Amino acid sequence: MVGVTSAGDAVSAAAATATATDPRTPTPASASVTAPPAPRKRRSTFWRHRTLYLMAVPGIVYFLIFKYAPMGGLVIAFQDYLPFLGITGSPWVGFDHFVRFFSEDTFYVLLRNTLMISLGMLVFAFPVPIVLALLLNEVRTRWFKRSIQSVVYLPHFLSWVIVVSIFYVLLTTDGGSINNLIVSWGLDPIPFLTDPDWLRPMYIFQEIWKGAGWGTIVYLAAMTAVDMQLYEASELDGAGRLRQAWHITLPAIRPTIIVMFILAIGDFLELGFEHMFLVMNSLNREVADIFDTYVYTAGIENGQLSYAAAVGLFKGLVGLVLVVFANRLAKRFGEEGVY
Amino acid sequence: MSKQTFVKGAAAAAVTALALTACSGGSGDGGGEADDGPITWMAMLHTPVTPDADGPIHTALEEYTGQEFDIQWVPDASKEEKINSALASGELADIVSLTVTDSTTVRQALGAGQFWDVEPFLSEFPNLSKIDPQTIEAAKLDGTLYGVPFQKIKTRYGVVVRQDWLDNLGLEVPHTIEDLEKVAVAFTNDDPDGNGKDDTTGFIDREESFLVGFRSLTGYFGAGDKFSVDDSGQVHAAFTTDEFKDAMEWYRGVYEQGAVNQEFVTVQKTNQQDAIAQGKGGIVVTGLFEAKNYLALAESADPKTPMKWALVNDITYDGQPHRIISDTGGGMGGWLALPKSEVKNEDEVRKVLGFIDKLIDEEPYTLMTNGIEGTHYEEDAEGVVTITDQTAWEQDVQPYSSSRPSEKVKTFKSSTPYVDEANEKMAEQEPDAVVNPTQSLTSETFDRQWSTLEDRAMDAYNRYLTGQIEMADYEAVVEDLRGQGLDDIEQEFTDAYAEVNG
Repeated sequence: MVGVTSAGDAVSAAAATATATDPRTPTPASASVTAPPAPRKRRSTFWRHRTLYLMAVPGIVYFLIFKYAPMGGLVIAFQDYLPFLGITGSPWVGFDHFVRFFSEDTFYVLLRNTLMISLGMLVFAFPVPIVLALLLNEVRTRWFKRSIQSVVYLPHFLSWVIVVSIFYVLLTTDGGSINNLIVSWGLDPIPFLTDPDWLRPMYIFQEIWKGAGWGTIVYLAAMTAVDMQLYEASELDGAGRLRQAWHITLPAIRPTIIVMFILAIGDFLELGFEHMFLVMNSLNREVADIFDTYVYTAGIENGQLSYAAAVGLFKGLVGLVLVVFANRLAKRFGEEGVY
Repeated sequence: MSKQTFVKGAAAAAVTALALTACSGGSGDGGGEADDGPITWMAMLHTPVTPDADGPIHTALEEYTGQEFDIQWVPDASKEEKINSALASGELADIVSLTVTDSTTVRQALGAGQFWDVEPFLSEFPNLSKIDPQTIEAAKLDGTLYGVPFQKIKTRYGVVVRQDWLDNLGLEVPHTIEDLEKVAVAFTNDDPDGNGKDDTTGFIDREESFLVGFRSLTGYFGAGDKFSVDDSGQVHAAFTTDEFKDAMEWYRGVYEQGAVNQEFVTVQKTNQQDAIAQGKGGIVVTGLFEAKNYLALAESADPKTPMKWALVNDITYDGQPHRIISDTGGGMGGWLALPKSEVKNEDEVRKVLGFIDKLIDEEPYTLMTNGIEGTHYEEDAEGVVTITDQTAWEQDVQPYSSSRPSEKVKTFKSSTPYVDEANEKMAEQEPDAVVNPTQSLTSETFDRQWSTLEDRAMDAYNRYLTGQIEMADYEAVVEDLRGQGLDDIEQEFTDAYAEVNG
């Protein structure tokens, strides 16, 4: 559906263009130092870096075709889109779909559910890769570190379908292993899969299980850049492992953490459709229905394409605002933002 | 690994793909296809395995009809999503099997004239011209026939009960709702499989309980098929009626005694079949023809399975006469619709209809039912059919059986247990069929809102049944739905009904 991806795309596109331009950033600066007359020089710097631009082309084309062009479809959010009439033939209705969305009760339910889970993700899931990376960093036996790394990366490569199925087999009260264990202790089985109270913990736990290991990569990479002399010096001063981690490693990877945090904020409403869709059912829908799943149900299952596009567009705009805001905030505190 | 989420996952993937196709589409599909190219067909797949495109049945059908064709299989569990997105993006085939007759998107697409009106052509074909006029009427929307109706037996549903478990416990086959409950509870508590473990239950239900299994049960209590008309000519949605709520109260009582699998809301069709084959429960409300499939599945795991089934087609409640909700919309299982975007002119319509017409001949019908003689089945002198290679039949033949344009061409005698019995019992209860009175009526609000309303009612039903909410809360949800279009739907149908029935 149009709405599902588009706005998140805007964010990721922004991030990507930022990274794409990174190699360029130093050049205008150095160019302007050496020679002030800009227009001619600019062309020549362009020519000088032509191979870099050439290398950027596939990326740019990718974003144009798969991220920007589909955004054109968002106009159906302002139409009563009927597939057989097409975008050109469908009647325009202005902001009707938005008005309907904001005046319905579902809006608050969706907002609450999305925010609660996003908050949970930030509080519980976001720090886990950092802690894991710190722990891995302390492992000195090379082969052991390597093998642990591979093991924790592995869940990342499983699709949500597999992950959720594994948890289903473990957690179901109709003969799931965890519940069999609980019952064998003489306790009542816990309906993890259907109890609304269990949905959020289960969802976040699954996210951590699947993503934490993979998330350490960025932090581990940042940690390799820390000057070894700092550790040696601190050792002479009598600092232990814990002290070193707190006073050297963590401050050194702070910019990375902040960049990751901004990106996480940008994805605040972008929980992703697939995972939630798979764990959602009639009984936990009241807390599980989020913007992404609602867009799917309203748009694909119930055929209200324009309405769903409007919901998706709203979600995307909020995501964009959040990422801009977080970036500003980071810069204000003297850190480097994502752009 | 559980298959539970596989289908949902496929749906998820389809959506992601759709995000691309739906958006970048609009340029229209250029390149007019050659008139004599293969016919494409979007058909539903009710089996876990997709048949081989060069498989024996496909080849034989092409040979018989003299027409090449390609089938795009749509897994039945994700048919709504797939069909809706196909309709939205215009990525259709020459023949589209539309089996969800009350889907909002499907109704809108039909009403908008996206498909050919096939009625004027039917008389030109030997088999299509013989379709039961009642079925044609039931298949019309607003007086127009937007596709060849799937002809089905009107009443296939019933209750199947583990006969061997009944025997173990010394119980009789239940014929009333009261006895059914007793059996369900006994199956739960009295260790019917005699393995000394508390690992069985009565009913094995699934996620779609509200739409299929339980819906069929409500018929015994007197509820209508989606809608009913009262004495004053007023149309009511079945889930708002007292009969339906009586059934809910009864079923919740059964559930609370542990006699329904407790997490049925997370159970998909294949999980349900697995659970039945593994002997986790002994009662299923389903098509009577399923008994043979359950047995086959159980035998594939354990050739010595003691599994035996009793097929029950005469459950009554509180002394009322037996009635059974039609699970096929009164013998109309949907449409084989021809989209105008793919089938460009009348000659092509004739070509495609000719192909469908030939599929109703006896030979292709046999191919799609039993397979190829000598490979999949043997037929003896008395015409009794024996499936000789069950695995090959499941792989090659079974997927096609639900795509037969007519299921009433011929009834084969079978040596497979429960096949003849199921056929007889399904036919036997046809006179008691309860059919949706609004099926061929139109309500604009229904077309727009029904899917959403039904979803919400279904959630409320599930929550009531599992004890999350009480009957008063369910009624509150229904009241809420009234304000969101249910009242309009009932009123529009009432008016339309009055107009048609004077």
